[in-house]
Amino acid sequence: MPLISTSTAAFYDRSVQSMGLLRQKAEGLQQQLGQGERLNRSSDDPVAASRLRSLARAGTFAGIDQTNANRAIADLTLTDDALSSFASFVIRAQELTTQAASTTLTPAQRAGIGTELAQIHGNLVSLANARDSAGHALFGGEAVGKPYALDGAGNASYVGTASAGELQLGDGLSVSRGLTGPEFLNFDANGTPTNLMAVVKALSENLQGASTDPALAAREALDALNTGLDKITTGQTLVGTRLAWIDLTSERRVNLSELRSSEEAEVGGTDLAAGIAEMQQIMLVLEASQASFTKLAGLSLFNSLR
Amino acid sequence: MASDLLSIARSGAQTARIALDVTAQNIANASTEGYVRRSVQLAEVAYPSGPGRTGNVSLSGVRLGGVIRNADQFRQAEMRRTGADAARAGAEIAGLENIEAAVEQSNVFPAMVQFEASLQQLAGDPVDPSLRAAVIEDARTMTRTFQIAATGLEAAGTSLRFEAAAGVEQVNLLAGELARVNLRLARTSDASSDQTALLDQRDLLLQRISEHVDVTTAFAADHTVSVKLGGSGGLDLVTGGSAGTLAMASAANGTISFTLNGSPVTPAAGALAGRAQALDKLGTVKADLDAIAASIISAANTVQTGGAALDGSAGQPLFSGTDAASFALALEDGAMLATAPAGSPANSRDPGNLDALRAALTAADPSGELDALVFDISGTISGRRITRDALDSIATTARIALETQSGVDLDNEAVNLIRFQQAFQASGRVMQVASTLFDTLLGIR
Repeated sequence: MPLISTSTAAFYDRSVQSMGLLRQKAEGLQQQLGQGERLNRSSDDPVAASRLRSLARAGTFAGIDQTNANRAIADLTLTDDALSSFASFVIRAQELTTQAASTTLTPAQRAGIGTELAQIHGNLVSLANARDSAGHALFGGEAVGKPYALDGAGNASYVGTASAGELQLGDGLSVSRGLTGPEFLNFDANGTPTNLMAVVKALSENLQGASTDPALAAREALDALNTGLDKITTGQTLVGTRLAWIDLTSERRVNLSELRSSEEAEVGGTDLAAGIAEMQQIMLVLEASQASFTKLAGLSLFNSLR
Repeated sequence: MASDLLSIARSGAQTARIALDVTAQNIANASTEGYVRRSVQLAEVAYPSGPGRTGNVSLSGVRLGGVIRNADQFRQAEMRRTGADAARAGAEIAGLENIEAAVEQSNVFPAMVQFEASLQQLAGDPVDPSLRAAVIEDARTMTRTFQIAATGLEAAGTSLRFEAAAGVEQVNLLAGELARVNLRLARTSDASSDQTALLDQRDLLLQRISEHVDVTTAFAADHTVSVKLGGSGGLDLVTGGSAGTLAMASAANGTISFTLNGSPVTPAAGALAGRAQALDKLGTVKADLDAIAASIISAANTVQTGGAALDGSAGQPLFSGTDAASFALALEDGAMLATAPAGSPANSRDPGNLDALRAALTAADPSGELDALVFDISGTISGRRITRDALDSIATTARIALETQSGVDLDNEAVNLIRFQQAFQASGRVMQVASTLFDTLLGIR
């Protein structure tokens, strides 16, 4: 009986299946458009999802790197300010020493200058024990407490660590956190190692009567103070260079983060225009198939049997 | 002769009635699952003429030759085979998606990254109490996400095993039912409506079984069926009136295996096979997750115990546990994080041990391993999804092909309704003619 026969059940099955498929597609697109993300779960596109994960990981680390860089900038700026203060104290000490080197001064006047230098020594010690933004010793490396301790005679000695330690800035880049005291306070005077505070202290004591020829002692100390000032200026240059280096890495980080965002958008974002157009197309097909289904389903021979 | 005319018309009316009955039955069962369209086969009744009786006409009308069931065994077998494949793929994907959700939605990867990030931040100032507290809290979050993932995997495994157990029960039930249908089929007479209904039931049961396991069928002359589980060399599930017993056993690692009447059997298709495959994958994923957790625990604890805490005391283990489920934080106090090398004084800012911890974590690369794990699952799913879609459309095509042939077409039945109604009316007309003939003969005076 070769009637062109489509089983009624098969017709309904097929219609339900094809319309269901279209609906499913439209809903998937709607979800993508609604979330602005192409991937709902990893298995939608495993490679892209893995890429997104590593991008998100890099983003998290870059955020921490930025925090660390900001901390380093704050500490280095504090270091820079402290070094400027050091320099002005040394310049004041130089002025006083130049006056004291003159033979026209009376011993009492020299003793007065010596007293002021003793004050400067005190200021230098407390400045060397300054704190950084987190409350740690600014010039003590990784020292726990104050980096300079005073012995019974009032001599300052360094008790901090040898280096300030490195701070990671991400991608294998790092910067030294700051300067340790000896790095800019210690120098050689006439071939013997000494430090700025020892020089100032010795000078003040010499001017106050410890030396038989205070004018000569002052003239000798001038050279040492010059070297000390040079050392401080070098330290400031170093700090400036490090700040510039952090700026450079920050700039690099911003560029990388822009690249990351654009890749994230490319890999995981929805193309709105394409998505909406596709949605329209599917809706059109769905409407058409629904309309044709109603027409076909209404086309029963039983309607014509009277 | 006129009486013959009457009896011919009677047979015609009778068969038209039967054909109308069959048509009505078809219409009534147009959307019954497993119902196969019936059609009537009619046969002419005529007696052969004897010798010397030239020109003899002995016509006796029509009789019912049989009720035909329009089922094609090849198409039915195809539908069972492709249906079993699609059911396997569907069950496997469903199980795998649960596994993916358990691992991915536990957010174990972001938590791991956050822990690494907070360690990195601590390097900025190793003695800062708030940064130390942040490390401890992020470590806690990380261990919890591992626990959530482990619990999720366990739940996925439990539900898969539960569904598989229900499937086994279903197969046993259906096999028993099929054995009973076999017994009744052996006793029914050919081409009766009773037999066709039993055949419908037989095919429906076969199809139901094939959704759970792959079966090979052999039909006997009396329409009974013997079913083997697995390929043609498989074990007997149903032979004649007896049905075998399928049983399931689950191993310690959560994977399942099946036995039929005590002999091990491995279904290659059907939902049971898909669930078994998903459970196999779940076993490896769980082992991988446990290995990642163990690597974090050993890396962190080794470094931590080799350092000095904030108060200068020797470092204590950071984590406890041996796998993802038992992964837990052993320290509550941020000050106990051993960031400084062993022997350092209290409040040491030396980040030596913290650097060692970060280096150990970088070497163990847990976040890379987690990424690889999620990628492994999601990659498997996305690959299997393509297979599933292909098998689905093949199965749907096979089902529609069978329905097209064996299903009821209402238009066709409407035509049959009119045709047999007319046949009935025509037979009635013949009776009227016979009656007129009688009247004519009786009226002769």
